[in-house]
Amino acid sequence: MKIYELATVLRSKNAGPFRTTLDILFDADEPYRRVRDSGVLTKEYIAELYGIRKKDVYGIFYADAARGIKITIQKPLDMASGDIHCRDLFGGQQHIPLLGIEVP
Amino acid sequence: MKEELKILAATCFGFGIGGDSWERGLSWNPDVIVAQGTTSDGGPGYLGSDAPYAGFLDTKKDLRTIIVSAKRKAIPFILSTGSPGGGNRQLERSLEFVDEISKEANIKLRVAVIPGELKKEYLKQKIRAGVKIRRLVDTDRLPEYLTEEEVDRSERIAAQMGPEPVMKALDLDVDGVITGRALDVGLYMALPLKRGFDKALAAHMAKSVEDGGLATEPQSFKALFAVLRRDHFLVWPTNPSTKCTVVSIAAHAFYERPDPNREENPGGALDITGANYEQYDDQTVKVSGSRWIPAEYTLKIEGARRVGYRTISICGIRDERLISCIDLFLEQTRKHVEKMFLPLKLNEDYVLLFRVYGKNGVLGDAEPIKQTKAHELGLIIDAVAPEEELADAVCTTATDYLLHADYPGRLTTAANVAFPYSPREHRMGPVYIYNIWHLLELDDPCEPFDINIREFPVR
Repeated sequence: MKIYELATVLRSKNAGPFRTTLDILFDADEPYRRVRDSGVLTKEYIAELYGIRKKDVYGIFYADAARGIKITIQKPLDMASGDIHCRDLFGGQQHIPLLGIEVP
Repeated sequence: MKEELKILAATCFGFGIGGDSWERGLSWNPDVIVAQGTTSDGGPGYLGSDAPYAGFLDTKKDLRTIIVSAKRKAIPFILSTGSPGGGNRQLERSLEFVDEISKEANIKLRVAVIPGELKKEYLKQKIRAGVKIRRLVDTDRLPEYLTEEEVDRSERIAAQMGPEPVMKALDLDVDGVITGRALDVGLYMALPLKRGFDKALAAHMAKSVEDGGLATEPQSFKALFAVLRRDHFLVWPTNPSTKCTVVSIAAHAFYERPDPNREENPGGALDITGANYEQYDDQTVKVSGSRWIPAEYTLKIEGARRVGYRTISICGIRDERLISCIDLFLEQTRKHVEKMFLPLKLNEDYVLLFRVYGKNGVLGDAEPIKQTKAHELGLIIDAVAPEEELADAVCTTATDYLLHADYPGRLTTAANVAFPYSPREHRMGPVYIYNIWHLLELDDPCEPFDINIREFPVR
């Protein structure tokens, strides 16, 4: 199943000008746990999806009370918010590469 | 000491405060009204240019609602303004509005004003004295430690003041406090901390209400109301057709933060890993159990540096023959420009970008769809150079080439692209980047800030 079919919110936004943060929120425990426990979300995989280095994946966080998963990545060096090469000032459309994630 | 403190969180002004929801919030007798009007969300262009967001008139309307309401209820207001970069000029513009409001509403105001801009000399003295000002984000894009040269390169530097200067200002027998650039949660924490409430709960309450109706179901732009007590807080919306739920409040901790469980603040971190959220009634959530982990006091400073001027040209491409070979054609254009501007070097002396909407304008190389199916592309020809004239010339040269050059299978020998505007080229003005995003360690959180008492109306 695709991750977006399990989630109710799948969004991106800047967390400060140098990072993009990706939120995956669920409206029930079952789909949340399914994704959390599937092991599909790894730093290696996120790095591959976004074409960045593994060390630029700042963290993958799980918040059980909110039934949410947060992934925060560093923006490419010349693409901080407002940089000459910036394409997304608020980082609001950077969730797209996550849509293809297949959850076992 | 009072056992509870009630906060009306007007949140961002400029979105339209007022109406029934606002009156309902006031009827619950808040102890303070808080709203924020500074942000770095819109990027360095606002701090660099000290230009306001559009729609400044709405800001005045919301300022009036807050100030007049606070005066009517005889409670303080705490506002940050600077619309939105936090520069002093924008703060002064807001204070002109306050003056007009005091005259129009016929009220007298005594306001503590705390500007948020930092003088370059202040920071340079710190650096000379050996104070290490380290970058907040570990990226090669920023110098690890701030240097005097980098300070000099900034157009403008603002500090995101914490709650402490506001707490100090609240002691000065004022109707309210208006700051420049400030930490949003700090504005909401100031009165609770002054009254001796738990720091972790105050911070968690602040974090829950600061974006107002974004933390409700459904989301709305209306104010939130919070009651802070010794060992918990309650939060609910002023808009009766929305509600706070355990998930809406817990999930709001995700919003624009790098880590949903821990938030670094001046003087410590808020840890909400062990927080408890309870549905208190249909509209209200009860929160407890957050922890504060003390750390050395650091003030976040933000600086914007001018890196050049931008000229753009916008056009549309409809012919599928050109769409099918667009990458090649743009590469050909880039090479043509590169040759025409020798001995200047592309990416060193000037930058030329093509933003191809309908293909990969939003995601660039991270775009998973490699072959566009669009029947029409939007193209921005984007030139940045140290001088405006050079940016103009690069943009025009690229635009002319795109309009007239040949490509495989071309039928359009009169013109390749469609322009919506005359003139085709548009000067976008200076381009700024964040060159300072650092943490300044301070023994006294109030040290860089002057608190000025201003009386309104100004005669």
